[in-house]
Amino acid sequence: MEAFNYTDTTEFMERDFSNSKETGTEIKIENVSMVFPDKNGGEPVTALQNVNLEIKQGEFISLLGPSGCGKTTLLRLIADLLQPTSGNITVRGETPRDVRLKKKYGIVFQNPVLYDWRTIRRNVCMPMELMGMKKSERTARVTKMLELVGLLDFGKHYPYELSGGMQQRVGIARALAIKPEILLMDEPFSALDEFTREKLQIDLLRIWNKTNKTVIFVTHNISEAVFLSDRVVVLSPHPGRVSAVVDIDLPRPRDMECRQTPEFFDYMTKIRNSFEGV
Amino acid sequence: MISKKERLRVNIVWVIGIFLVWELGAFFLAGVLNDPMADAKLPYLHTIFWVIIQNFSELLGAAGLTFSRAILGFILGAGVGFLLAIVMSLSKTVEKIAFPYLIFSQMVPVLGLAPIIFNLVRDMNTSRTIIAAYITFFPVSVNMLSGLTSVDNEKKELMYSYAAGKKSIYFKLMIPYSLPYLFAGLKIAAPMSVTASILVDMLGSSGGIGVKLLYSLYSGTKDMFWASVFTSAAMGIISYSIILILEKKFIPWKKEVVQKEGA
Ligand SMILES: Nc1ncnc2c1ncn2[C@@H]1O[C@H](COP(=O)(O)OP(=O)(O)OP(=O)(O)O)[C@@H](O)[C@H]1O
Ligand SMILES: [Mg+2]
Repeated sequence: MEAFNYTDTTEFMERDFSNSKETGTEIKIENVSMVFPDKNGGEPVTALQNVNLEIKQGEFISLLGPSGCGKTTLLRLIADLLQPTSGNITVRGETPRDVRLKKKYGIVFQNPVLYDWRTIRRNVCMPMELMGMKKSERTARVTKMLELVGLLDFGKHYPYELSGGMQQRVGIARALAIKPEILLMDEPFSALDEFTREKLQIDLLRIWNKTNKTVIFVTHNISEAVFLSDRVVVLSPHPGRVSAVVDIDLPRPRDMECRQTPEFFDYMTKIRNSFEGV
Repeated sequence: MISKKERLRVNIVWVIGIFLVWELGAFFLAGVLNDPMADAKLPYLHTIFWVIIQNFSELLGAAGLTFSRAILGFILGAGVGFLLAIVMSLSKTVEKIAFPYLIFSQMVPVLGLAPIIFNLVRDMNTSRTIIAAYITFFPVSVNMLSGLTSVDNEKKELMYSYAAGKKSIYFKLMIPYSLPYLFAGLKIAAPMSVTASILVDMLGSSGGIGVKLLYSLYSGTKDMFWASVFTSAAMGIISYSIILILEKKFIPWKKEVVQKEGA
């Protein structure tokens, strides 16, 4: 088992680049295609076709695109929940499987995926149990995470007692709890109201800023993608492929006012146009 | 959803209603039709209760003997059924080999099996236990297995993404997820194990509620017969209630499960 240093008071976990062959490049996606065979003998679905992408270490990257364009599929390929039909993915020179076995991924699924039989606290706790963390540390960490997502008062509740948006926030707390080195988030805020969403966007940026972990963030919301990301990868459907990659050079740290600037709108227009060009 | 108070009121109305209909029926048979066999066909409910109270310790002793063996067999059978379900879910091969035999085992009627078991072990108590266990393991196993196989993929993927081992996956996901299914099986099995135990009594036991039933039926002590029938029914209801209470305790989260037929 990996030795993790949980005693530091900051969110930051010491990163180990010793076995990274190409320092600077975190994830390399080369010519990746994913074809799902149709179970009823119909046409196979090409979810992704020849996707090439390099994601830098510490980068905040968004995968943006309409429903069905393969965003979730790409995320699942990186997470080793799917194997590509062709092409290659490396994470710090290793296979996604190696990285998964080292427990370096934190995933926020599109659905909350909570365990009904565990209270909210115990749901957030679960990955830490799997990592063999001490109980006292787990308890402290759970409290901190629930505070972050504003659910401290609901720790003793069961998932069925929470609204959909609250459940989603539990999923976020659970993913962050183990301080993953690569955070994969599949539309984590899409079930939330505008107020909670904006608060959590700022919180996410704050955490990311402190920890400098790599974040891959799936969304179909253009403004959200621009606000959060260093780079926005625009995917187009049928078959899913990268149609544009837009660098977002807005200054950081970003706050709500950043959304009002002309540059922000320019980026949104630029991305929207890249959809129309498809 | 009806409130607790309302449900209690509904229950009281039902109990009173049944009591009245029964008494009326008994009166009709005895008083109006002048049926000479009335007290055997449908005796007054209050006389049955009176007989139960008069013979309480005797009935309780007999019921206790039968019930304790049923419980022992039930626990044994539930344990075997549970483990069998786990093993079958761990290995498709085991499931493929074992499942047809499981189904086949249920085709052998208990009525035929009981004398065979008794001839083999030559002990009433052991026979009761074995038959109760035999009856129990199947619904428990089938329901538990159906729980284990219906765990959704996403829940498994979460475990997978944290590279959880088999042991963690079972203790943190598969088994807790399947608990409501397990209890569905236990609820079917509990009254059945009591019935099986009573059945074994009737094969020539010296004690137990089944013996009371049989002897009172042959010797024509009708009151005692009906008292035994009521005691048997109470045993079944109690066994079911115990499982219900345990279910409430072990499953504090909500989950509706469609019960699978046990036999
Ligand atoms: N397991 C699967 N089996 C078969 N087809 C699949 C599977 N998963 C995804 N697909 C297909 O691949 C395509 C891309 O799906 P994907 O879930 O990646 O889309 P998405 O971009 O995440 O969409 P959304 O925004 O609606 O979540 C879809 O056409 C879908 O039908
Ligand atoms: Mg998706």
